[in-house]
Amino acid sequence: MKALLYLTKRSFINNVKKALKKPVSLLIIIGAVLYAVFILVMLGQLVKSVHFGSVKGLLAIVTVWTLYAFLGNFVSYSSKKGVIFRPAHAHFVFPSPISPKAILLHSAWMNYLMSVVVGILFFISGVTVFQVAVWKMLLFFLTGCVLELVLEGSIMVYLYTNDRIPAGVMKWIGRIIKAFLVGVALFIVMYFRKYGVSLESAFAFIDWPGLQMIPVVGWNIAVYHLILLGPSSLNMVCALLYLLTVIFLLVVAWRMKCEGGYYEDAAKFADNYAEMKRRSKSGEMVIGIEKKKKKFRRVNDNFNVTGARAIFYRQLLEYKKEKYFVFSKMTLLTLGIAVLLSRVMKDSAMESGMPEMFLLGIIAYMTLILTGYLGKWENELKNPYLFLIPDSPVKKLWYSTLMEHIKALIDGCILCIIFGVAWKISPFQVIMAILIYTVLQANRMYTKVVAHCLLGDTLGKTGQDIIRALIQMTLLGLGVGVAALVGFTVNVDFVFPIILIYSIIITVIIGLLASIRFHSMEQLG
Amino acid sequence: MLEIQELSKSYGKHLAVDKVSFFIPDGKVGILLGPNGAGKSTIIKCIAGLLRYTGRIGIQGIGSKRLEAKRMFAYVPEIPSMFEALTVREHIEYVRKAYDSPVTDEQVEEMLKRFDLYDKQDKLGNELSKGMMQKVSICCALAINPKVILLDEPMVGLDPKAIKELKDMVLELRNTGVTVLISTHMLEMVEELWDIMFVMEKSRIIGSYRKDEVGEKDLDDLFFEMTESWETGGEEV
Repeated sequence: MKALLYLTKRSFINNVKKALKKPVSLLIIIGAVLYAVFILVMLGQLVKSVHFGSVKGLLAIVTVWTLYAFLGNFVSYSSKKGVIFRPAHAHFVFPSPISPKAILLHSAWMNYLMSVVVGILFFISGVTVFQVAVWKMLLFFLTGCVLELVLEGSIMVYLYTNDRIPAGVMKWIGRIIKAFLVGVALFIVMYFRKYGVSLESAFAFIDWPGLQMIPVVGWNIAVYHLILLGPSSLNMVCALLYLLTVIFLLVVAWRMKCEGGYYEDAAKFADNYAEMKRRSKSGEMVIGIEKKKKKFRRVNDNFNVTGARAIFYRQLLEYKKEKYFVFSKMTLLTLGIAVLLSRVMKDSAMESGMPEMFLLGIIAYMTLILTGYLGKWENELKNPYLFLIPDSPVKKLWYSTLMEHIKALIDGCILCIIFGVAWKISPFQVIMAILIYTVLQANRMYTKVVAHCLLGDTLGKTGQDIIRALIQMTLLGLGVGVAALVGFTVNVDFVFPIILIYSIIITVIIGLLASIRFHSMEQLG
Repeated sequence: MLEIQELSKSYGKHLAVDKVSFFIPDGKVGILLGPNGAGKSTIIKCIAGLLRYTGRIGIQGIGSKRLEAKRMFAYVPEIPSMFEALTVREHIEYVRKAYDSPVTDEQVEEMLKRFDLYDKQDKLGNELSKGMMQKVSICCALAINPKVILLDEPMVGLDPKAIKELKDMVLELRNTGVTVLISTHMLEMVEELWDIMFVMEKSRIIGSYRKDEVGEKDLDDLFFEMTESWETGGEEV
């Protein structure tokens, strides 16, 4: 165990040293902490302003949190994904002579830290916002940090290290737990559907005796009832049941024999997690940790082109082999945003009399702010063959990104046609909006290359995205300003053509600048 | 000594290792040869305790999953993975603590010098090249002072000097009674090291040779003799 403590201690110290050496990352951390404090203070004021600042208000929040934490922990531990392991664990920790249980419990330190932080936040808010007595909140904190952590650790050990139960049975236990949790979640949804979402129904929900009778999680909530509202026969019985459950599971976990069977799953998870981090760092939109092995269709197409055009035809061939051709998560997201926003914003857009301007705003948001859109073209820059192709950098840039322009055109059609139909925008303006969307997406891609050239890897992907958005807003803002001026003073019909022509000019200029990146593989930054 | 009995491992429906048995006594170098996908790394990972399996693995007569057995064996994986925020020296310190190793600071320094890591001992894990990581991995394995050492494709990514040092080190370990198991498909790299060779094909060991039995016969010839005879339907050797 002392080796694991050494590992964590040294990693922490070295990470702090590294952050101190990089003032930018330190500033980002400080900024994030200040922002979190600001949000919490605002939330505290909001709670007071909606008359939620009472013991029952705290109990309602704690109930939802307990259910959420319970659901999350059980689902992740039953699928053996709740503890974050790194590939280095498989190399240095798993083969070492340290008890597999100790390794598991130690590796979950982030989970405990999270519980302690939440406990501290509840303590502070309980005393300041919800006006609960300090001794009660201390007891509350101890329950969260002792009883709940013991229960969590015991369940973790049971679900991870149970080598006696066959893998198939374990899978079924996991499924039953998930089904139980889905049942709990459905029950809550049904309750609020029946009684409506209001302060009264929320307070009635926490007062409802059935809630405290739900095995384990309900008993856990009963302990908070006992501490915050005082004893009742129900909460005392349920709290006792909770205490007995914790003791029972602790004994079970303690006595369980474990020889490290979970290492196989943990090592696989570690590899998947590292891959997910790598993909997310490279700017890809990553939803799940586990990436399923891609299946490709058989295509026997041949293309007979030379020079940089080969890049486009190779990409086309790759897309033809993909299950959904050029349609991706981004297409789905665009469709979702279009369907949702066209309904939600319909009244305000129609009442303004200028729904086309609302559409322009949405397009601006989609292209300037929304990130996480990574096409095949970004991988082209990592491929040395791109630089060896005997063709001009401008052509290489064009053919590397041509497919992305086609994809943007398709996404633009989905977005603008849905809004156009829903908001009754004229076909001319819809076509203009599609073209503007396509050009702005191209602009986004090229500006990203320029931002990368300017910054290198100093600010990371997020920093690059911020700089990219700033450059885009500055350059395009001028055109939007001119278009708005002409629109209001001369004719509103000029707004779309002005923005389109201006965006094309700016995009061509940025594209020419970005093509420098296609000269050699070496970064300029 | 390392003892494997009826070891089997499946990934879903795919049988990666099929009832493999072999034995390497103290002070001998065993090599596991075979093409890519034959199951060599799976066997090594099973011995290292990273996979579930059926069968029995014994290290100095003790079941490999027991902590007493783990204390005696070292593992150098094919692809090294470092802790990003730990320096070279801290990796070794961690290993010494975890294994309660008798290796002294002087011995560690000597090891680092031998593998050209002495001036890089303060570098963090994420600052190392693949070759350097492999050297750190080897040093960590040596810092255990093992009785059994598993090396999975250990020469990949190493520079010529490090390969020479590694080969010397394997011979030194053998001379001090350590059992060494090397998995590789680079025959020329283990030519002068081996005492016992096991040849794998399609999840099974198709035969083995002892150096003292085959004399000066070339490893290449022995390997291809065995695999060709197996492919043409010959008996296991």
